[in-house]
Amino acid sequence: MSPVFDTSQASQANNERSSRVRYGLRRYRQLWALLVAVLLLWTFLSFASPYFMTVQNLTNIALQSSVVGIMAVGFTILLIGGEIDLAIGSTQALAGTMAALLIIERGLPIWAGVLIVLGMGLIVGNVNGYFSLFTRVPSFIVTLAMLGVLQGLAFVMTSGQTIGGFPEAFKVLGHGRVGVIPLPVIIFFSVTVVVQLILSHTRYGVELYATGGNREAAVLVGISVRRVLMLAFIASSMLCALAGLVLSARLNAGHGSFGSESLLDAVAAVIIGGTSLNGGAGNTFGTLLGIILISTIKNGLILLGVDPFWQQVAVGALILAAVLVDKTIKGELAIGDLLPRLGRR
Amino acid sequence: MAAVPQSVGGPNGGVDQAVPPVMVARDVSKSFGQVRALVDATFQVDEGETVAIVGDNGAGKSTLVKILTGAILPDRGSLELDGREVAFRTTRDSLQLGVTAVYQNLALADNMTVAENVFLGRVPTRWLRVDRRRMERESAELLHSLAINVPDVRATTASLSGGQRQAVAIARSFRSGRRLMILDEPTAALGVQEGQKVLDIIEGLKGQRVSIIVVSHNLDHVFRVADRIVVMRGGRIVGSRAKEETTTDDIVHLIVGTR
Repeated sequence: MSPVFDTSQASQANNERSSRVRYGLRRYRQLWALLVAVLLLWTFLSFASPYFMTVQNLTNIALQSSVVGIMAVGFTILLIGGEIDLAIGSTQALAGTMAALLIIERGLPIWAGVLIVLGMGLIVGNVNGYFSLFTRVPSFIVTLAMLGVLQGLAFVMTSGQTIGGFPEAFKVLGHGRVGVIPLPVIIFFSVTVVVQLILSHTRYGVELYATGGNREAAVLVGISVRRVLMLAFIASSMLCALAGLVLSARLNAGHGSFGSESLLDAVAAVIIGGTSLNGGAGNTFGTLLGIILISTIKNGLILLGVDPFWQQVAVGALILAAVLVDKTIKGELAIGDLLPRLGRR
Repeated sequence: MAAVPQSVGGPNGGVDQAVPPVMVARDVSKSFGQVRALVDATFQVDEGETVAIVGDNGAGKSTLVKILTGAILPDRGSLELDGREVAFRTTRDSLQLGVTAVYQNLALADNMTVAENVFLGRVPTRWLRVDRRRMERESAELLHSLAINVPDVRATTASLSGGQRQAVAIARSFRSGRRLMILDEPTAALGVQEGQKVLDIIEGLKGQRVSIIVVSHNLDHVFRVADRIVVMRGGRIVGSRAKEETTTDDIVHLIVGTR
């Protein structure tokens, strides 16, 4: 054995542990930066508005983060694999509408309605995956088309009407609490943790990151790339269906337009959370912090008395800022590049 | 890892005649439209042998190598692995039987760690959990046994030099390719020093009882690592020479067709 492996068992274990900690700090640098940003924003807002640091308000932020957050987690999975799903908002809208139609209008038992809606998510995921992976149409185009199809179907189903009045048992999904914590928040947090455990610690996760990082290499080493990505498409759509159920329970109604803004927020959360647009990197805790940051900014704008229409402007600007900051940190963009030198090229 | 003397011939222990060649390609042909890329190529690699395939651009080297890994299917001809006929339909088929290739473009996932890249496609799990410790320990041992110097198996391969990246790709291939390793231009993209290091690694592999095919343009490199040199021209195999019985001149003449 060479001297490299000569260290005693105990000190080796110790070394391993401390180097693991340092490795963790380095690897999750972006996550810590985001956490600091959120805390700074919270500190600022708690001075700026007396209503910000109240249990009620913080619960609201968490609640507002939850529905979009569940979808954003699905979007994270797909983006890590190097694919995209632009139909998340309309899948969610269709899910909520279907839930209302089946449970309220048709009087189906809740469990049956929920199962059918989740089944719809399963089918949509398969359709997205099939066209993106087997016909080689970019998922950007496939899911853009599906955005139209599903959104349209949601309106057609109810002729554009809102259907309201869920049974109490269903409303629990949106209004229930465990202790002081609302059920949607618990669902969102559980989804975040479970998905990240799968991504970090299972063979599937490793294969997904590899596929997103270098698809050709993944194929060459024998990873079944289509199976890996198909599962990612399915996970994304089914999480959207779940989000749709939670939203319709919270609003006690279903309508084709519910959640139409959520695509923007979900994409913003994922990108702010540090998931690479090129695939191969990212995690759901970043997405969680991303959505909390967005909800906080929206909440802060309201508390500060800004016209609510500015919220979309802020989120849109935030996406651009996050991408620019990310590129600068990675050294792909110098500050000087931001000023186009006219006449040079 | 114990080094096995390469002269010992397989499970039959020294009865060399009884050991079939690791890989035989018989009368293999492949055309792409009008282009006859490979014409009745017959070729074999023996246990523990390092064979270099040389030839000009378009001589059919890549086509032959891709057929050996199942990346493309031959129009005619057959393959035998350890004396048994095989039909590789995909690279996964050949991988399962211990035939691997290191491609020119490396095929590393640079977002992932050295350890993950070494184990990619065959990640070990324990109770459904990826066994990272085992992956890191075993890849460190493997790299060490191949005299590959990488600072940290938990670093991403993006942070490594070209030679180190090539070495990681070779290590992965060695891990899963216990029968036959195919190295396609392993030194082409590297500087002189890094190229020498990769050659050192290939020489080290020769002590490990694995058979190797090296495709290269660089005759100096070929003469350094190969036991036998196979020359291709116009889709045909035009010569096969033991290293001791040939010269660079001889090989060059075969390559350009003046002999």
